[in-house]
Amino acid sequence: MSPADFFVGWDRRSGSANFRFLAVVAGVVLLVLAVLGGVAGRFLPRDASLFALSPLPPAEAPIDSVTLRGRISLRPVATVFVAPDASHPRMHSVLLSGDGKSGVSLAGSLTDGAMVSVTGLLLRRGSIDMLVVGEPVQPLAEPAIDVPAPVSLGRWRVAGEICDGKCQTGVMQPGQGLSHRACASLCLIGGVPPVLVTAQPIAGTQFFVLASADGSAPPAPGRLAGLPLLLEGEVERRGDLLIFKTDLGRAMLP
Amino acid sequence: MSHGYVPVGWTTSKKLYDAVLLLGVGMYLAAFVHFGAGDDQALRIKALGSCAFVLLTLVLAIGPLARLDKRFLPLLYNRRHAGVITCALAAGHAVAVLGWYFAYSPLAPLDALLVADTGSGHLRGFPFIPFGMAALLILVLLAVTSHDFWLSFLTPPVWKALHLGVYAAYGFVVIHVALGAFQQGDAFAVEVSVLAPLLVGLHLWSGWREWRRRKAAKAEWVLAGAVGDIAEGRAVVVRFADAEPVAIFRHEGRLSAVSHLCAHQNGPLGEGRVIDGCITCPWHGFQYRLADGCAPPPFTEKLATYRLELRGLDVMLDPRPNPPGTYVEPLVVA
Repeated sequence: MSPADFFVGWDRRSGSANFRFLAVVAGVVLLVLAVLGGVAGRFLPRDASLFALSPLPPAEAPIDSVTLRGRISLRPVATVFVAPDASHPRMHSVLLSGDGKSGVSLAGSLTDGAMVSVTGLLLRRGSIDMLVVGEPVQPLAEPAIDVPAPVSLGRWRVAGEICDGKCQTGVMQPGQGLSHRACASLCLIGGVPPVLVTAQPIAGTQFFVLASADGSAPPAPGRLAGLPLLLEGEVERRGDLLIFKTDLGRAMLP
Repeated sequence: MSHGYVPVGWTTSKKLYDAVLLLGVGMYLAAFVHFGAGDDQALRIKALGSCAFVLLTLVLAIGPLARLDKRFLPLLYNRRHAGVITCALAAGHAVAVLGWYFAYSPLAPLDALLVADTGSGHLRGFPFIPFGMAALLILVLLAVTSHDFWLSFLTPPVWKALHLGVYAAYGFVVIHVALGAFQQGDAFAVEVSVLAPLLVGLHLWSGWREWRRRKAAKAEWVLAGAVGDIAEGRAVVVRFADAEPVAIFRHEGRLSAVSHLCAHQNGPLGEGRVIDGCITCPWHGFQYRLADGCAPPPFTEKLATYRLELRGLDVMLDPRPNPPGTYVEPLVVA
């Protein structure tokens, strides 16, 4: 490098030879940045969970302003059971949530098993449906429809991940994994129903409402959200709703 | 100081430097989003975060590269611009995370940030967000103090010590990724596992070369190099393990040795050149006379000077400094 090619910070520009060198460096930097960006984006996991071995069904487009009439159940989580129809011969169960990262807000006078009318945005993914309730839940003065008695599908040891039901129904894509952990944790703190997504289908689905071993809502599931887990518990069917009853204190991280 | 003092403004070099950086950042983000899949918000979060890491690696690579090859020096002088752009990318990543994963909650986003990422009792699921926050706080502190005003206000040694905090930020980012994206198998985590060791290797390489030079310079009179190694109007720099580096300049067939550190802001005088018969600092144009290290009147800054000897074609340097401003007869070599 000759003195004339030396760069001085306050000069208008560097010498020609050094300029040529720096031009090559700039070209290499630009190329490396473009390639790194493309490679990092291209090979980003499509499904962020280590355990989601089986591809999940895609989320369907949300349907706005859906009104459902059915029987509300508050255990383990707020759910409305709608009478069977052609597409839901075992009844249609729909989880309820509020707007954003909040659970559904229910009047204190509302009793478990009452008939209600609920209106909101319907989210669907695979076997799991959720209504984001936009208006107050209206009690209906009519006889409650029958909900089939719970049927045990046996005890299972499963690999899976705990998530909030809302993101699993398509609000977030992929809505799983560590990067989504804090988001799911906030949803679960806010009262959105917890969902277990299993690595492999059980009884034809990978989505299960998560419950404690006694069938009540599980305490603080958010601390385990977004992590690959090994869980042991009982799978129970109520209508078309599948529930995984487990003791989260015995969950294992592989 | 000197009449030639020039506050460093927006020179063509700086504009080109920033243009290349911004173009590179744009290309990275566009490629990431184009080839990536998933919701737009998550892609944006990952693109901004990973780009900030790549740029931070580049920023930290410039120092050792410039020590290994002087042609990288122009990148070093403008490194603060790259640092500020890195900080902006990291802040964009954080804002995007707050506006997506931490939004729509009954809790305020900042409150949510503190309560949502709690430990699981295992290494997997160990909170990784606090490490990212710590890195961002450091980067913001460095960005806001990057201007010359702060260099002058804090004094160069304090400013330099503060800005070495960038290595702590880099460490926090590596932990942030190792506990988060790496466990998820994200491809940009591979960037971290490749680029971070490369950066460490680059530092070790340049440090080893410097250590060898310093080791060779421990004798009372040390060999500074061959006369022919010093170009007219330029200098060579001799570094020591436990003393200030010395710059030996050649001007009109005579050699003079002064401290390598400018009395203004510790700028690298040995990387400057002789202009109008005076050593001229490459940072702001401060000037000093060759023989006594004094700024030309009416200015009063002084540098330590050093004695030189010629043994054959070798230039020998006495590393013990003379008091600043001491006259030393230049060594005639041609």
